[in-house]
Amino acid sequence: MSGHDDLPKLLGDCVHCGFCLPTCPTYVLWGEEMDSPRGRIHLMQQHAEGAPMSAPMVKHFDACLGCMACVTACPSGVQYDRLIEMTRAQVEDEHPRPLRDRAVREAIFRLFPYRRRLRALRGPLRAYQRTGLDRLVRRTGVLERVSPSLAAMERLAPPLGRAPRLPERVAARGERRATVAMLTGCVQGEFFPEVNAATARVLALEGCDVLIPKGQGCCGALSVHSGRAEEGRAFARRTIEAFESADVVVVNAAGCGSAMKEYRTLLADDPSWARRAGAVSGKTRDLAEFLLELGPRAARRPLPVTVAYHDACHLSHAQGVRAQPRALLSGIPELTVREVADPDICCGSAGTYNVLNPGTAAELGDRKAGNVAATGAELLVAANPGCTMQIATALRRRGTPIAVAHTAEVLDASLRGLGPDALLGRAW
Amino acid sequence: MATSAKALDALAAVCGDVRPGEPEEGVLGVEPALVAAPSSVDEAAGVMRVAAALGLAVVPRGGETRLDWGAPPARCDLLVDTRRLDALLEHTSGDLVVSAQAGMPMERLAEVLAERGQRLALDVPLPGSTVGGTIATAAAGPLRTLYGTPRNLVIGLTIVRADGQVARSGGKVVKNVAGYDLGRLFCGSFGTLGLIVEATFRLHPVPAARAWVTRDVDGPKQAYEAVQAVLHSPVAASAVEYIGPGKVAVLLEGVPDGLSLRARTTAGLLGGDAEIGGDPPAGWGRYPDGTTLIDVTAPPTALPDLLATAGTAVTWNGDGHGHVGLPAGSPPDVAVRLLGALRDVLGAHRGGAVVRYAPEDVREAVDAWGPVPALALMRRVKDQFDPDHRLSPGRFVGGIR
Amino acid sequence: MRMLSELEDGEGMDSVLRTLARDLDVLLGGDRVITDPVRLRTYECDGLTNHRATPGIVVLPDSAEQVAGVVRECVRAGVPYVARGSGTGLSGGALPRTDGVLIVTSRMRRILEIDIPNQRAVVEPGVINLDVTRAVRADGYYFAPDPSSQQICSVGGNVAENSGGAHCLKYGFTAHHVLACEVVTPDGEIVELAADGPGYDLLGVFVGAEGTLGITTKITVRLTRVPQTVQTLLAAFESIEAGGRAVSAIIGAGVVPAAIEMMDALSIEAAEAAVNCAYPPGAGAVLIVELDGPEPEVAAQFADVERLCRDAGAFEIRIAADDAERALIWKGRKSAFAAVGRISPAYIVQDGVIPRTALPQVLARIDALSAESGVRVANVFHAGDGNLHPLVLFDDAEPGAAERAEEVSGAILDLCIEHGGSITGEHGVGVDKARYMPRMFTEADLDTMQMVRCGFDPGGLCNPGKVFPTPRLCGEVPGVRKGPHPFEGKADLF
Repeated sequence: MSGHDDLPKLLGDCVHCGFCLPTCPTYVLWGEEMDSPRGRIHLMQQHAEGAPMSAPMVKHFDACLGCMACVTACPSGVQYDRLIEMTRAQVEDEHPRPLRDRAVREAIFRLFPYRRRLRALRGPLRAYQRTGLDRLVRRTGVLERVSPSLAAMERLAPPLGRAPRLPERVAARGERRATVAMLTGCVQGEFFPEVNAATARVLALEGCDVLIPKGQGCCGALSVHSGRAEEGRAFARRTIEAFESADVVVVNAAGCGSAMKEYRTLLADDPSWARRAGAVSGKTRDLAEFLLELGPRAARRPLPVTVAYHDACHLSHAQGVRAQPRALLSGIPELTVREVADPDICCGSAGTYNVLNPGTAAELGDRKAGNVAATGAELLVAANPGCTMQIATALRRRGTPIAVAHTAEVLDASLRGLGPDALLGRAW
Repeated sequence: MATSAKALDALAAVCGDVRPGEPEEGVLGVEPALVAAPSSVDEAAGVMRVAAALGLAVVPRGGETRLDWGAPPARCDLLVDTRRLDALLEHTSGDLVVSAQAGMPMERLAEVLAERGQRLALDVPLPGSTVGGTIATAAAGPLRTLYGTPRNLVIGLTIVRADGQVARSGGKVVKNVAGYDLGRLFCGSFGTLGLIVEATFRLHPVPAARAWVTRDVDGPKQAYEAVQAVLHSPVAASAVEYIGPGKVAVLLEGVPDGLSLRARTTAGLLGGDAEIGGDPPAGWGRYPDGTTLIDVTAPPTALPDLLATAGTAVTWNGDGHGHVGLPAGSPPDVAVRLLGALRDVLGAHRGGAVVRYAPEDVREAVDAWGPVPALALMRRVKDQFDPDHRLSPGRFVGGIR
Repeated sequence: MRMLSELEDGEGMDSVLRTLARDLDVLLGGDRVITDPVRLRTYECDGLTNHRATPGIVVLPDSAEQVAGVVRECVRAGVPYVARGSGTGLSGGALPRTDGVLIVTSRMRRILEIDIPNQRAVVEPGVINLDVTRAVRADGYYFAPDPSSQQICSVGGNVAENSGGAHCLKYGFTAHHVLACEVVTPDGEIVELAADGPGYDLLGVFVGAEGTLGITTKITVRLTRVPQTVQTLLAAFESIEAGGRAVSAIIGAGVVPAAIEMMDALSIEAAEAAVNCAYPPGAGAVLIVELDGPEPEVAAQFADVERLCRDAGAFEIRIAADDAERALIWKGRKSAFAAVGRISPAYIVQDGVIPRTALPQVLARIDALSAESGVRVANVFHAGDGNLHPLVLFDDAEPGAAERAEEVSGAILDLCIEHGGSITGEHGVGVDKARYMPRMFTEADLDTMQMVRCGFDPGGLCNPGKVFPTPRLCGEVPGVRKGPHPFEGKADLF
């Protein structure tokens, strides 16, 4: 396992100051040391010193959302992201999970990273939504009794429209300024195909040739962030192969972008892949990050709408991308950006977390939804499909549904002069 | 009295100024058998040791400005007069810190400090008060709005315990959290826990300029609105006072350049016909007239109720603290009713009322202290400091002995 | 809410604690009592990690009644207890007892009342310091005490430690901003202590008593009006001495800044490594001076400060134009403690106070100490009030290094005492400095302080072993003890 030798050093970086506590979603919920980053690091230390991977320990590690807010908050530079990844791998190695847990986990990891399988699910899901069966199921709570995780998945599924196909190449409009390769992602690609379409259009309108490599699959984010490192590395290698010839890799999903930027560490111990991984990590950019570096060229048309911008953890904490999306949004005439209170606290989506820990995720979703609703914004903007689904679901649950969009879609609407209705007409 | 003669000898052996008490030196009528005036901490400790050995009840006395506050002592065998303990111990102006002995008059201390452009930010409502007496009674004036009371400014305290041991807490640095802060505990303890002999204070620079902005107000509502306007503004007043009847006064301090603008802003906030002046208005920093003085805790929102209940002899500070006076000759039942009414209306604001001084007939008729929430705990602390109940017995809350 | 009922896991506990844990479980409900050893160990220390003790039981009450109930059960069982807030203390004040109960207030975090007209708020002890300010900022107010840990430290912890912060030079300490506390006394009663009530100022001594006089369950804090303007400058000097001259000149000119902070070259290096604060290169010392108040007042004084810094030899002065630039100036200073981890594997954060005028002599002596011992010392301090935070660096992998660092650290405290200062300005005595107390205070001083403790806690069960090196036997009559203390040898149970 990569970096295992570093563990004592990484653990030793923590000086126990506690600055991470208020940014940790589970500490915010429960106020317990064991469910804070400082407490979890302490548990890791106990394990490193020989304490067995006991059930209580695993429970506290599993409860971690991996949102990395603690990494941002830490003044001592503790690499909690690496610590929890290593720990999750140890949990998978050393801790036998109950059968039911195992089955759910297997199902998730056999479904989400595979676009074909997700696609196969789209048909039945659309039919299910069209017949109104979904509302009946929710009302009766039958799914909740069968499996809370399945129920969570059902609630989170977005309303599905037709999925447009993207060509392998979209030509720049006007003089070409750059050539970029685009990652389409699995969940993003299947559940939010319009986001990818908007991303490609915005890039092209800003003068980029956009390549959409055919061989791409899952980037491995879900696996790596859940302690399935080997599986994650396999996905990473495939993704590297697909993208290493590109100048720049633009990613519009926060979790995927952060995973690709971590390839460098993920494959550091693999001599035949380390350099190639490092190269791909080095040229991976979040869409907002890239667009701001490129600078605006296409004319922005007014978009009189009030938006609440949500910081996806894997964008703000993992990639440090906070200012760029706000700058892009603020650059649109007549658009007002409202800040959401407690922006550092995770919405509870966190990759597969809201499927594996539906109760906790719902509590966090409710908090986030309350803060979003309090902004009075008409449109919620986020750059991660998981967050979008999670918060929209929570807002619907509290009876204050709101329209949602990706930063790319807002820009797309402005560049194409579509007007606010194109975005607001899609309330969940 | 044979005991007295023996005590006199024993005290004379440790202290250079010891004599029998005079009738006119009575503490609220309780005549002291003996008076000792130590001139050093050693002498003070000697006096307290002798008192302990002989079981003498001790009442400390400073400038006699508040000796008539509280209740008469149950016994007073020995008055310990601190006026010979009046040395300035250390004034390190670069550190903004001064140490003085307990008997030093506050005005004299202020003169010394002013020579180097500094001050102890405590008003002296009663001229002649000493450093020790000011601490023992937690006395303060208008500046409490910004600087608080002695508890905020005492950074070190030396006391002589009931058994004659000298004990110190705090120190001579402003920032210090080593050990319990006995300085704050002794503030307002009325001589019941020990004899205060030395104190160290944090100081502030004397402001280069000051201005008073005053406005006549018509009724409680106007007073309240004027006060609220200033409290919630950023003019940073050093003092916000209501002076009955019918005046709100604000003290501003700072550099001359800034002051005039701040004063005009404040006048605007006060509204009405607010005036700006270089001298304090009449009644500034004085207790209201009368022979009975009631000390009230009244947060800002309690001001209208306070004014509606208390009549005209009222002063009040934006810090949420005030005083009510009753004229000479007020019948005891009037005082009892007023006190009851004050406690009723202020209680609703988490405030209260305490009688500081009063003629004997009033004193005997009223419950001077009112409800004291943690009285049992206070008794236990007192028992630790004074297990034989010899320090100002009966002078303080709940007749604590 | 998850259930943490785990009493079945309590094997290995001694029988008194096991029984107590059952009683507490009945009293509080299962998810508020922790007895699983793995979980308990995460509470073994607060922000000071070189003292550790795994608590016997941890409880997470969520009301004053529950705290009082826990205290009464502890008294009944004769078991010591310790209160803990966010666990950020730097003197081990919340170090648990292996034979006792740790009462954690992190779930008591409601802001109960905001009363702007009266400039106060009522909060539970687990409320985070900065959250008070966040809750009232829109009304133009804030909670003035601002310890470096304000983003996580609890108001209850601030009360226990009488916390200060960079701005206490002008605004004072927690004691000056707490108007009343509801307190669970060591006999399990709930009482209200108020600053302005009749009787003894028990609140005055309770604040800063480091949790040895009871547990606060509700705190009425004073809110401070946000100043009209804030001006911050950063001045770079070639040496600490030059910076010190500037501080003296500013104070001497009758200016009371909101804060004056100084960092030496080594601490600047650490801060650069951690947060890229981009302080002027080549600086032997940087001074951060902040003035706040009414605009005309600040404008006049700020010009003076700038001139005085130049006169003292500042080679570069930066003035923050807005909040973002101010934050950048403060970033290096605020991260300094943790940042030292970047330049040294281990370090001790010392906290001592000297009269400000003794700064040059004391810093020279610290330099000499460092040179003699070969132990590096980085200096960060609240220069306005003489509160030094020497950071004593060492490599914990090197045999004997920790001891040498400890020795230098102790010698610095001796310097503070020698110059009429204090062994702690804001971190508290806790368990860490109890042994230094007799160097600063006489036996009679300490004995007198403990009279208060005996009044509050005659049984000695409330956070025992903290602040005082030797407990006073409470039944004793006042006076200097003769012969060995009956508790001798029992004080070092952990």
